[in-house]
Amino acid sequence: MKHLEVTKINGMATLQDLGRDHAQHLGFSGSGAADEFSFLLANHLLQNSPNSPALEIVLGQVHLTANSSCQFVLTGADCHAQIIKQGANADQGQKITNNRSYHLAQGDSLQLHMPRSQLLTYLAVKNGFEGKKFLNSLSQATNEFNLAFTEPAIKQGTRLALSSQEQATDTFDNKIKPHRLNPNFHQEGDLVLRFIPSQLWHDLPTAKQEQFTEQYYQISAQANRMGYRLQGNALTIDPSAAGLSKPVCFGTIQCPSDGQPIVLMKDRQTIGGYPVLGTVIQTDLFRLSQKRPGNKVSFLPITIGQAQAQLSAFLHKFP
Amino acid sequence: MSRSDPTMTIYPVSENALLISWLEQICPIQHQQITAMAQQINKSLSAYLIETIVSYNTLQIYYHFDKITLPSLEHKLSDIWQEIVKHTERQHSQSNSVEIPVYYGDEVALDMDDVVKHTQLDRATIIKQHSTRVYHAFALGFTPGFCYLGSLPKQLSVARKATPRLSIPKGAVAIAEQQTAVYPNSSPGGWHIIGQTPLAMYQVIEQQFIPTIAVGDTVKFVPIDKRQFIELGGVFPTS
Repeated sequence: MKHLEVTKINGMATLQDLGRDHAQHLGFSGSGAADEFSFLLANHLLQNSPNSPALEIVLGQVHLTANSSCQFVLTGADCHAQIIKQGANADQGQKITNNRSYHLAQGDSLQLHMPRSQLLTYLAVKNGFEGKKFLNSLSQATNEFNLAFTEPAIKQGTRLALSSQEQATDTFDNKIKPHRLNPNFHQEGDLVLRFIPSQLWHDLPTAKQEQFTEQYYQISAQANRMGYRLQGNALTIDPSAAGLSKPVCFGTIQCPSDGQPIVLMKDRQTIGGYPVLGTVIQTDLFRLSQKRPGNKVSFLPITIGQAQAQLSAFLHKFP
Repeated sequence: MSRSDPTMTIYPVSENALLISWLEQICPIQHQQITAMAQQINKSLSAYLIETIVSYNTLQIYYHFDKITLPSLEHKLSDIWQEIVKHTERQHSQSNSVEIPVYYGDEVALDMDDVVKHTQLDRATIIKQHSTRVYHAFALGFTPGFCYLGSLPKQLSVARKATPRLSIPKGAVAIAEQQTAVYPNSSPGGWHIIGQTPLAMYQVIEQQFIPTIAVGDTVKFVPIDKRQFIELGGVFPTS
């Protein structure tokens, strides 16, 4: 089997594609790449089909060795990666620039360091990684490893199967392809999260609405693929306003009775019972997924029409 | 009946999702209509549809927003609902009854003290009330195999925790407001734990996911003692 072997991993990495479309009625997370911009960009640059599985790496610090040559690209958080030839020292590495395709020869090692900013790096290979699929997706939901429906959690020694369609090439074009993608999609600094307000939000007194939209929230340490818990001045909402448990979606803003909002992410639950203030629009969720604990966010209500226009424009960049 | 049926509201919750809500009630009859609506949508709107998710009094619809406008979809949904309401008397639900063995002992009833405090009932009464009622399965969700059961006796109603527990043990039997459920796996959660079942909440057979409780089933909790709990493979939570 042609593969990349994980020789060192300090944090977490998962295989991701665009997730499962028909899973939530069974109680499964939709899952999928958290930062679809960087994920789609990686596949676009390799001329892969958009849904080709890639490796989503949290805070770098992963080493991989190729047992077969392959073409790859890194997008997202810049991990100052390098290629180390077999038998060479770490200081003799070839420096890797994000958003360019490179070639790994058999025996080469790819080493990613801790990124200085952002959170997630995508490693895509030509034609994508292969593995066990569940409901048409290879995405590894972090809260569902115990089901063993997808590949087991990635650790040292894990072999990531390269596509059998992969053709080893000794020569390849390493020029940056011009593309229509916005290089400033992700911005440093505070992030404004545009959201579609819920019915409950519309019923709140103006003072409460302003309390929510006029403050900065800090991303807490409890931020992961399931959800981002935020910290700010507590926003008290009567818990009974939530009524019965209802389906939630990517970006649902829950407000538990401690008044600290939670934004639900890709590995979210499917049904929830906390009061819901609205839903963060998807393009801003891709941005949020690259933010770290301690970063600041604020909220801005927009209409459903504006939200759909944003997502349409985003998807048109990746035909 | 007018198109603007006051019992049903349609609200866009995401770029590609709508939430349809009915009266805030735990009602098997209303729930049966919602389930029928979901089935009909899956049949007749499949060209625009990604997925439907049913809960107590709500139905979430994921759709291809590039293939149909919101007003047009809302119109179609209203029409489907009118048909459902007209034909409700002809619908029959086929449901199974499921028995869940529960150990309510101190080692596993992690939040029993809180529940005693809030309800001002003693433990024996709480256990008796919880295990005498026959519940209706209203929704499968939150996490695979998690089935929302209703309705809990009013005396047992306890609000969710202010801050969710980061890890609830596998098999935990918990309550929140008028609902009860079993946590199929260890996961975060904000419900109060009053017992634990050794029974698996799902099976995985040839890549198929088979939940122990299906939406529409009736469910009863059967108290067991510590010895039975262990014999049935129960594992005590590590604190």
